Amino acid sequence: MSRIPKEYIINRLITLVLTILIAATLIWIIPRLSPVDPAEIALGRMAAGAGTVENADEILATLRAQMGIDQPMIVQYIKYIKGVLLLDFGLSTAAFPTPVSALIANALPWTLGLMLISLIITFIVGNLLGALMVWEKTPRLWKVAIPAAMVFTSIPPILSGLLLMWIFAAKLQWFPLTGAYGLTVEPGWTWTFASSVLQHGFLPALSIVVVTFGFWALGMRGLMITVQGEDHTTLAKAKGLKPRYILYKYMIRNAILPQITAFALKIGLLIAGQVLVERIFAYNGMGKLLYDAILDQDFPVIQGVSYVIILLTALSVFIVDLIYPFIDPRVRHEVA
Amino acid sequence: MTEATNTPLTRAEKRQARRIRRFDNPWRNPKLIWGIGLLLGIILLGIIGRILWNLDLVFTGSATLKLPPVGFENLRRQEGVWDYPLGTDGSGRDILALIIIGAPNSLFVGLLASLIGMSTGIFLGFTAGFVGGRVDDVIRVISDVMITIPPLLILVVFQSSFGDVSLTLMALLIAGFVWQSPTRLIRAQVLSMKQSGYVQMARLSGASTGHIMFREMMPNLVPYLFGSFIANVTTSIVTAVGLEVLGLGPQRIPTLGRTIYEAINAGALIQNLWWWWGIPTLLLAVMFIGLLLINLGLDEVSNPRLRKLS
Amino acid sequence: MLDDVTPKKPVLTMADISIEFPTPRGVVQAVKNLNLTIHKGRRVGFIGESGSGKTTTALSVMQMLAEPGRVSTGTIDLGGTDILALNEEEMRKTRLSRVAYIPQGAMNSLNPIMRIEPQLWDAILAHEPGTPRADLKSRSDAAISSVGLPLHVGQLYPHELSGGMKQRVCIALGIILTPELIIADEPTSALDVVTQRQVMQTLNEIQAKIGSGLILIGHDMGLMAQSVDELAVLKDGELVEHGTVKQIIESPKHPYTQDLISSVPLVGGDSFLNPDKQANAPRRDSTQPLLRFEGVSKKYGAVTALHPMSFTLQGDTPQIISIVGQSGSGKSTMGSIMLGFNPPTTGHVLFEGHDLQRMSGTQSLEFRKNVQAVFQDPYACFNPFYRVNHALKFPFKQFGLSQGDKHTQQAMEEACVAVGLDPDLVLSRYPHQLSGGQRQRLIVARALMLSPKLLIADEPVSMVDASLRASILSNIYDLKDKYGISILYITHDLATAYHVSDYVMVLFKGHVVEAGPPKAVIGDPQHPYTQLLIDSIPWPDLQRAWGHGGANWDPSEQEAQAMKVGAVYRGDVEGFDLVRA
Repeated sequence: MSRIPKEYIINRLITLVLTILIAATLIWIIPRLSPVDPAEIALGRMAAGAGTVENADEILATLRAQMGIDQPMIVQYIKYIKGVLLLDFGLSTAAFPTPVSALIANALPWTLGLMLISLIITFIVGNLLGALMVWEKTPRLWKVAIPAAMVFTSIPPILSGLLLMWIFAAKLQWFPLTGAYGLTVEPGWTWTFASSVLQHGFLPALSIVVVTFGFWALGMRGLMITVQGEDHTTLAKAKGLKPRYILYKYMIRNAILPQITAFALKIGLLIAGQVLVERIFAYNGMGKLLYDAILDQDFPVIQGVSYVIILLTALSVFIVDLIYPFIDPRVRHEVA
Repeated sequence: MTEATNTPLTRAEKRQARRIRRFDNPWRNPKLIWGIGLLLGIILLGIIGRILWNLDLVFTGSATLKLPPVGFENLRRQEGVWDYPLGTDGSGRDILALIIIGAPNSLFVGLLASLIGMSTGIFLGFTAGFVGGRVDDVIRVISDVMITIPPLLILVVFQSSFGDVSLTLMALLIAGFVWQSPTRLIRAQVLSMKQSGYVQMARLSGASTGHIMFREMMPNLVPYLFGSFIANVTTSIVTAVGLEVLGLGPQRIPTLGRTIYEAINAGALIQNLWWWWGIPTLLLAVMFIGLLLINLGLDEVSNPRLRKLS
Repeated sequence: MLDDVTPKKPVLTMADISIEFPTPRGVVQAVKNLNLTIHKGRRVGFIGESGSGKTTTALSVMQMLAEPGRVSTGTIDLGGTDILALNEEEMRKTRLSRVAYIPQGAMNSLNPIMRIEPQLWDAILAHEPGTPRADLKSRSDAAISSVGLPLHVGQLYPHELSGGMKQRVCIALGIILTPELIIADEPTSALDVVTQRQVMQTLNEIQAKIGSGLILIGHDMGLMAQSVDELAVLKDGELVEHGTVKQIIESPKHPYTQDLISSVPLVGGDSFLNPDKQANAPRRDSTQPLLRFEGVSKKYGAVTALHPMSFTLQGDTPQIISIVGQSGSGKSTMGSIMLGFNPPTTGHVLFEGHDLQRMSGTQSLEFRKNVQAVFQDPYACFNPFYRVNHALKFPFKQFGLSQGDKHTQQAMEEACVAVGLDPDLVLSRYPHQLSGGQRQRLIVARALMLSPKLLIADEPVSMVDASLRASILSNIYDLKDKYGISILYITHDLATAYHVSDYVMVLFKGHVVEAGPPKAVIGDPQHPYTQLLIDSIPWPDLQRAWGHGGANWDPSEQEAQAMKVGAVYRGDVEGFDLVRA
């Protein structure tokens, strides 16, 4: 039994670390290029609260010291990178003095839950439908229906979300309009809470699923056509194998491999799309946290959320890369 | 197996013949034509609308608030009027005027960002493929890294720090995230074409590197470049709309995304003001469907095996 | 018509079979009214060129015709079963258990993500569900060892096997349910001659053991002569001749069959080139040697593709030097080093005294003008975007040979005529509209137009239909003979090298093992490796049976022995000096 070669893992680790570093640096550097001074925003917020502020200059200086932006850039940068690696993004300015990491820790499980469910469902449904478009034994009706459904899958989930929300929540009132669970429901391990979560999660998940499966289906269709023409599919038929067995073990099993690589490349865009869906459904996840932070100009939260989502993306890519050699034995061979 | 008999064809065979005839001119592809038609429709809306419609109606308070489109009634039992055929929004702006200005804007951002991303991709892809060695390594690693970073989040950081941006600046920013896939695609193609017989023949013919790149390789890349370009336009528009729906992006120019943002914030969904968010959504949907159809059509043009299926 | 010689029961009877493909321009008949009977234990070869309908006929027996093909008339009877009357599920059960198909592309015929053993097991399970695991294991082991492979192959993935091993796995798969009929579709087309012989012997031995009928599809008359009992010659979907191998090879009746047989070059036989052209080729004035290798070697990582080699090719006497070897011998590496596409790891390549790696711009253009090539794959050599004349016109202008468009056009037309092409028919076409033979001739015409001093021909005819090989080779031969161009002919085909060349070098694992005039090296080989190569060639000659080692013939021993023997030099030729190692 051959194992994954060391160089392969090292290469992927380098990519992972580089992704995290570049993303963290971009997030740090961009606000510093901006003429906007976060201390002044904080001061502005105080002024808005108290009417007037005396000793504005002194307060500004104190704020700057607190935020650490009076120090040399390089010192700030090193401090920031250290913090980021420990997932410490400082304190939220809008919900002062709650640490950003605490806010993210509250929001993250919601996002992760929604993400896992919707991404996995779309990936499976999409690839299966794509495979069925090519398979010669697919019923005629399906072969007409699937491509027709495909047209709507070019729409980003945010638009489908609006539509579903209007039809099923606002008009028919089958599902709640916003939130991740009912306002009157006490969070806990109860049936009422669980059903409330499911009810609230259904529409956001559906709005992602209905429009993103097409991407996978189209990719799969192209790959299946290639696999269908390959010699091992011909031989499988000549072996007298059952059509269904050929479909799963010979065709889909081979065609899915590039799709998994594509999954790793697309995961960032998919998560970003989901963040927007969370925002319109006011779902208690990272999307809502980000949107609220943008409204409040709460920079530490914006940075923290962006960083964590990018980290999540990079980790997913890394994990997919690590699993890949186990599903495609040729990779193990090539690198070794 | 050359001679064809002249026996009359059955109906099924005629249908088959029609299907196969499409192989003869791949560019006369119904998907491609429909897709281009939809996008041209949106551009025409922008051009004709500017000539025929009073664009001052995009300013706040230029009409009665929350009027429905003609033929509908809102919750306050007001009927739509022909002065504002698609209704008005929560601050009295005419929806028709909004989309006449907004729709071409979205398309413009997408096209510009994709064009810049594409040019960068062509340059880097060819450089990586031809120069090889360390340069190739650096380009490859950077594009591998950048392709996993979602553009939306970096742009959120950027725009919330800088405040208002112009359409062009937004396109430029998005372009910074759509060069990776063309770079990877072209690099891979260049590497495989470098080994191909006709490129070797060209080298034997004393062709310069420039000739090999632009005269021998580029024409064969065209279908891929088109496909990649259209895919990037879609990604760019999705990103732009995403930013606008988060309340970022250009603040003073009407865009479809921003209209949707305002509609959600004003509770248009609960108040049943469907035209406010629905019409921009529909227009964006048409745009995306058009782009998808073009992409499917191009796929079929460059890969004849796909044509058999439809 | 063969009933008198074979009293046994037929396993396959095809009566009046026609196969058609509907197309926009009407229905194309791929196979026309074919009648054929195959008896138990008999081996029948289907021979013909691409497009002759031989694979289509075989696939109709499997009911696996590509869409939208269909059998329009006739019946196919497999050992008493009417194949065309079976429903889909019955046909599925018939495949492999009664008729097995061994496909052409052994390289890609196995599922790349499954180990070998499960690929044998699922075949058994599809026909005999519920077979216990121990039973599966013992049957797959038996099948693997019956084709001469070690048992641990079952645990490997296809990419871990060589081409010959994969092909033998496919044979093991084909016989695992002891079918009545085996259809082998060009099973050795991707293999070296030595491996080809091994695989064919495995196939024949195992077919004899299980006593099934065999259809061998191919285009190589020699391979057929060595492998089958009966031959069916197909041309444009029609069975033009059918009989025993002896009848067909010794007294072919149909002119097409006669053509097929006469186009196969034989070592020692009559030259297929024009025999009176043996006069000396025109000489050229030259002071510098044309091409010089000084200790040239090439390594790819830890693998040495070419060991240090030195030779000088003079410019004044045009000669054809053949470089012969199997894949991996380093012959193609030599070619790309000579063209300057691939820098040598050690040593220098000098063209007229200038090092290829240190040429100025003008020297480089001069080198390109004077050293041209013909490559193996005539399909890849034309840019699909341009009409084919682009490949001729562009270098002509680039090298400053053109005196205006009219002159270019005239030169192109003359070159086409010289290689036997009608310029009006080919020059303004797109590459996909031409046949492989036409394209390869155009490449030769291109070389002619540029009139280089040296032409490197890397397997120029290995991808061209057999009947065209001779005429393309004689086009190339004329380049030397009439135009005084020196030629380096790189090939795996000893028979053609025997006829066209003035000097032959046999390459084995990057070393020259035998070199000299072809009459000596190929006509009377001394080195064990050259002998092995000659033995492995399937001659279209029933008197010259394939080798002498019998079924358990094992080339690895001979190869091991060949490693120990030093190079054998068999004489010299004017204008070429190989430095003896």
